[in-house]
Amino acid sequence: MNINTPIEEREFKIVGKSVRRDDVLEKVTGEAEYTGDVKLAGMLYGKTKRATVAHARIKSIDVSKALAYPGVKAVLTHENVPRVLHYGSPHPRSASCTKDQYILDKKVRFWGEGVAAVAAISEEIADEALDLIEVEYEALPAVFEPEDAALPGAPLIHEVGPGGNLVLDPVRVNRGNVEAGFAEADFVLEGTFSGGRPHPAYMEPNVCIADWDGSNKLTFWTSTQSSFMVRGILAEVLGLPLTKVRVLVDHMGGGFGAKQDCFQHEFLCALLAKETRRPVKMEFTRHETFIAGRARHPCRIWLKQGFKNDGTLVARDMKLVYDSGAYGSHGPGVTIVGTTAATSLYRCENVRLEGRCLYTNTPINGAFRGYGVVQSYYALDIQMDEAAERLGMDPAELKLKNVVREGDIAPSGHPILGHGLEICLQHGIDVLDWKALRNRDRTPDPSQPHIRIGWGVGCEMHGSSAYPGIKEQGNATVKVNEDGTVTLLTGAAGLGTGAHTALAQIVAEELGVRFEDIGTIHGDTDVVPWDIGAFASHTTYLVGTAAKMAATKVRASVLERAAMKLQVKPDEIDLSEGKIFVKAEPGRFMTVAEAMGPSRGIPAANIVANGTYEPTKSYSFAAHFTEVHVDTETGIVEVKRVIPVHDIGRVIHPIAAQGQIEGGIQQGIGHTLTEDYVIDKKTGRSLNAGLVDYKMPLSMDMPDIETIILEAAPDPGGPWGAKGVGEDPIIAIGPAIANAIHDAIGVRFHHYPITPEDILKALREKGA
Amino acid sequence: MKRIVELTINGEARDMAVETCCSLLDALRDDVGLTGTKKGCDVGDCGACTVLVDGEPVNACLMLAVEAQGRSIETVEGLQPSVDTLHPLQDAFMRHGASQCGFCTPGILMMAKKLLADNPRPTDEDIRFGLSGNICRCTGYTKIFDAIKSAAREMEAARS
Repeated sequence: MNINTPIEEREFKIVGKSVRRDDVLEKVTGEAEYTGDVKLAGMLYGKTKRATVAHARIKSIDVSKALAYPGVKAVLTHENVPRVLHYGSPHPRSASCTKDQYILDKKVRFWGEGVAAVAAISEEIADEALDLIEVEYEALPAVFEPEDAALPGAPLIHEVGPGGNLVLDPVRVNRGNVEAGFAEADFVLEGTFSGGRPHPAYMEPNVCIADWDGSNKLTFWTSTQSSFMVRGILAEVLGLPLTKVRVLVDHMGGGFGAKQDCFQHEFLCALLAKETRRPVKMEFTRHETFIAGRARHPCRIWLKQGFKNDGTLVARDMKLVYDSGAYGSHGPGVTIVGTTAATSLYRCENVRLEGRCLYTNTPINGAFRGYGVVQSYYALDIQMDEAAERLGMDPAELKLKNVVREGDIAPSGHPILGHGLEICLQHGIDVLDWKALRNRDRTPDPSQPHIRIGWGVGCEMHGSSAYPGIKEQGNATVKVNEDGTVTLLTGAAGLGTGAHTALAQIVAEELGVRFEDIGTIHGDTDVVPWDIGAFASHTTYLVGTAAKMAATKVRASVLERAAMKLQVKPDEIDLSEGKIFVKAEPGRFMTVAEAMGPSRGIPAANIVANGTYEPTKSYSFAAHFTEVHVDTETGIVEVKRVIPVHDIGRVIHPIAAQGQIEGGIQQGIGHTLTEDYVIDKKTGRSLNAGLVDYKMPLSMDMPDIETIILEAAPDPGGPWGAKGVGEDPIIAIGPAIANAIHDAIGVRFHHYPITPEDILKALREKGA
Repeated sequence: MKRIVELTINGEARDMAVETCCSLLDALRDDVGLTGTKKGCDVGDCGACTVLVDGEPVNACLMLAVEAQGRSIETVEGLQPSVDTLHPLQDAFMRHGASQCGFCTPGILMMAKKLLADNPRPTDEDIRFGLSGNICRCTGYTKIFDAIKSAAREMEAARS
């Protein structure tokens, strides 16, 4: 797609309408089949034995008692599984991931890592058998903080990698002259920032089922965002051609990025099934979704910026350290994306960035909505707020002055085309009457004098693809059936975002048929075209464009066939709402069904086309405005109102887009105020691996959200200018809340989560 | 050791042979084949397995199947009044975009049914409080609140 192609304007019939999603009827009736609902005849249940040390060599494993236990069918340890070094996150050969995992290893790198697996006739028996496996460990010194992991002489967690405990070589970006920039500055702000370890906590625990047939073909059901990546890595590790691995996934109970990885149990499940010649199911407990799942990378950031007295930013010097946990997973991708993101958001010509990512003996951190950028923009946006305070300026005005604009170089290295941040900010300022809010009477309400009210604004931008880290490709196949209905085949996963509906809307709009005429097939790697996976906020942008391209092709073929039947030239007819009519005589028409079907010796048509799209990247933008109430007696922060203003280009399905924003805000409120997956720094044990101790915002905690979506800056790379939306909201809300807390009580926090204890401690210190 | 449990599920009398340690959730999903009720945590934290037992909401993972002897269970599969009609809550959830990944939806629908049975005209606060035991991680709840309010209005209109 040529980026200079103007975006086509048209009167939309289906795009931009909240049609009934194609997945929701099944969801409200209980008929939707998730992986855990699949039950096969003779199915066994697999369970993983997990390490109770953070760093150790396995001296011995005795499985004899487990094997002898009635009902146990197979036991796997590092001694009887193939030893293949493989990628943990299945984007092989991209810059995003590391090759540092074995199916089972002689070494344990975190508390909770799998060391053995059992298949038995019931889950209970499998669980009981785990307790009969005796593991003798030789403990190794462990490190739980990236700073400690970086020290000379720190215990080495891996033998691979660039050296020490680095997951990848430091990511460095130098632009302009930072020293000259600081020399020019009227004042300098310097601060350290840190982020905790929020967990995606998707509702559906990880689950997979493996079944081998007589021809040695593996059929594999799994809750994954990237079925083709799982197919590829399973085939590579098991030594199979791709024709012998079929991955199936229908409905998914959320993923939020984390379900891109292979989590170790996939290989164990396939091998247990192979050994027993029976289907095997492995389903995580909720506890396992934490200890063996993927969380956001904890991060430490040092940020120093120079400003002129007119608010111009003249120098940015930033160091970021991400904690990868025990394996690389998405560590490289997160470090690259999070670090390079800091070239942008607020304009600065002189930038020096260094991002590092270190292994520690803690559970693995991976991809999670916001992918490294949540961390870096938390720091950038809060420090911009501090600069406004220093200057005595309105923070929204200062941000408006400094936001990146059309033509500025994006973190991906190419000029930004559709640019909407300025418009989002200005729109929020206008609709809220922000100036009046800033100048409001701040006298506490006499009926509740302990409550302080604050307003804050936070900004963000985020790419709608993983380019340039991953060279992406979107594919779609569109077939027109002889009754005029249309089948769309896509490999894009259905995480619950409504992506398949959006793709079907795009096909219907482009082709000129009704939305109800589109049937979508997905989730079977033997059937649908290759797909890179649903991540990086890209499905509508990437696969949507591929689907539109395929629809354009079949449309031309349908018109050609109809022209033959109507005995006119193809350019004399048009197709709209399922009817093909002669442009000069609109009364003369035939339906798509009539065009496609057999007639007078002509067989029914077989019209199929593929669309393949290799994009660069678009950026979406948001400014979040929020009101918080801080209880100065309890330290509790309540988020009362959020006005998220987003530019996501052309909106395909408004309700689904709003849903992404509202859900992202929920998760972002969580990581900013209450959510932190805590690892004991003495033992490496998880301290809150469950949904009671891991505190997410629930129904009682949600603010009023008044979502505003602007179609301000469409990007020519997406279908009719559509861009991504999934990750943006979780990035903007964090700094908005932190800035609002400052507005309420005059205290700056540089970390998340900001707990009631932190608030009370800060208030005490401030009072002292 | 297995026991025979006689009960009513979605209006239909039936019996099931279950281990005495088996939860109602596992019995419904594995023995009866009603997989609409979801297992999100298996320890009573998430509400995904909410069913109605004699009209009262219960986390099916916390109730033993043998405790269901002689009782009446309603699951999401029994929510539709007839094969070709939807319950107003189901319809409202679809229209308002209250279901994203859908994993919490069956439990929330059952809890909402109970909420509206007790309180046909709930305030926003009533709805928030009523759903405080059901985790949704996708929607931010806003569209769930909208859907329940809308269903309440429609059910009220249908009664009058």
